[in-house]
Amino acid sequence: MKETRLKILQYITGIGLFFFAGTHLIVSHLSSGEPASWESVSDRAASAGWLTLYLLLLTFGLYHGLHGLRTIILEFSFPNYAVRVLDWALVVIGIAIFGYAAYIPISAF
Amino acid sequence: METEVASSEKPHLPNRLGVKGWVWAGRYTLERYLYTLHRLTGLGLLLYVALHLGANGFRLGGEESWTSAIDFLTNPFGRVVEYLVMAAFAFHALNGGRLILQHLGYTLGKPKPPIYPYVDSMRRRRPLTWVMLAVIVALAIYILVEFVT
Amino acid sequence: MQELTFKVQRYTPGQDKEPYLQEFTIPFTEGMTVLDGLIYIKEKVDNTLSFRSSCRMGICGSCGVLVNNFPMLACHTPVEELKTDRIEVKSLPNFPIIRDLVASLDLLFEKHKSIKPYIISSDIREAEEPTAEYVQSREELESYVQFAYCVKCGLCMAACPTVATDALFLGPQPLGQVYRYCTDRRDMGAKERFHEADSPHGVWLCHLAGACSEACPKGVDPALAIQLLKRAMVFDSMRLAKKRQPVTLAHLPVESKPKIEVPEFTVK
Repeated sequence: MKETRLKILQYITGIGLFFFAGTHLIVSHLSSGEPASWESVSDRAASAGWLTLYLLLLTFGLYHGLHGLRTIILEFSFPNYAVRVLDWALVVIGIAIFGYAAYIPISAF
Repeated sequence: METEVASSEKPHLPNRLGVKGWVWAGRYTLERYLYTLHRLTGLGLLLYVALHLGANGFRLGGEESWTSAIDFLTNPFGRVVEYLVMAAFAFHALNGGRLILQHLGYTLGKPKPPIYPYVDSMRRRRPLTWVMLAVIVALAIYILVEFVT
Repeated sequence: MQELTFKVQRYTPGQDKEPYLQEFTIPFTEGMTVLDGLIYIKEKVDNTLSFRSSCRMGICGSCGVLVNNFPMLACHTPVEELKTDRIEVKSLPNFPIIRDLVASLDLLFEKHKSIKPYIISSDIREAEEPTAEYVQSREELESYVQFAYCVKCGLCMAACPTVATDALFLGPQPLGQVYRYCTDRRDMGAKERFHEADSPHGVWLCHLAGACSEACPKGVDPALAIQLLKRAMVFDSMRLAKKRQPVTLAHLPVESKPKIEVPEFTVK
């Protein structure tokens, strides 16, 4: 039941993103002050709580986004024999993006 | 056009609607349009996340690099994109919640022997979908007001 | 409404490059259906027009066509319901065209067959040589009977946006039938069918656009069946599904009923 398990993860990450991305968007785009200024960004970067939130947001967002993209690619009559190649390509892309994107807040912590 | 050979072995067009079949909802009703919008907002958010992660890289260049990047992005067009992202997130998150519930068979009711005129489960429970849409519209208006003021 | 304008798709493989629309003007008669209009054209105007039909009463599922951009059974669609005197009839999208309005449903039937659309019994001997009747409560019957009304007309497949691009996707009709059989207490083949539905082009490419249930002319509601299938598969993969007991048998009474007395002949 591989596809079913992948989809369950899609649901779990979706629910997680509702909270993590919701918090991130409210703080970064709707709060008063200048949330994108260097001072604000540096303050958040020094917090273990924010670092955890960013890493969870990144992990959940990458899985949810790339799995969604996989679904769309499959719908172009993507042949079954090549699905494994597609999956590995998306895993490699996901890990590469995670490595790059996670390095930024970790290095600033 | 691609050719598909059926067992009749007669030459014929595959006649698939293609991507137009995703986008164009035609005479179908509410949920079919929500399907299209969910896909479009999903792809839009994915594109935004890719650009956002790329822009985050300016932090590695220090304060000057970051501030100049933020200054470059702070303009009316950037604000419109920011608003669209917030609105797209509100839609994708709430409609996604509806989809999770309904994909697991909740809020759809039980199967019923079909008696004419037929009403399918999604139309029977459509008031719930309208409530969800009302919440999304209210959120989109609230975010717009916040952005403008 | 005195006259109707039928714009009918024409296409002959090997002769026409692309399908095109041909216009016919025919008289309107009260209570006529789209199929009546097509039959009129074939009998009185152009006998080369090809379409498929059989029962004329929405039972056989042969006459599925796209009427004013919505998949319908031609025999089940009164012209008055369309509220226009201009009627465009095309063959069902997402199915190859054999000729004019005749779509090839071969791919639908092949996919339908692939999900084993029959009762898979745990007791083969009992299934082949029954000694008793299966006991089934009203609730058990109602859990699947709606989905058993499917006539395999293909309208749901023509309406489905995933089928629009994905030739490998099982589609709403076969997936709905996976649930129909798996929820039947007489059936023990859920594992085999779940395996089929769990493929990359299986049940998870359904995104609940609901178009299949809107188009279904028999009230089968394949979208509901597919969502219930998803729930069953999620519960099964998380080992939360209740273990189902094999259906019980009700042996027929050994003693036969008393015979009804034959009345005496009135004329001797």
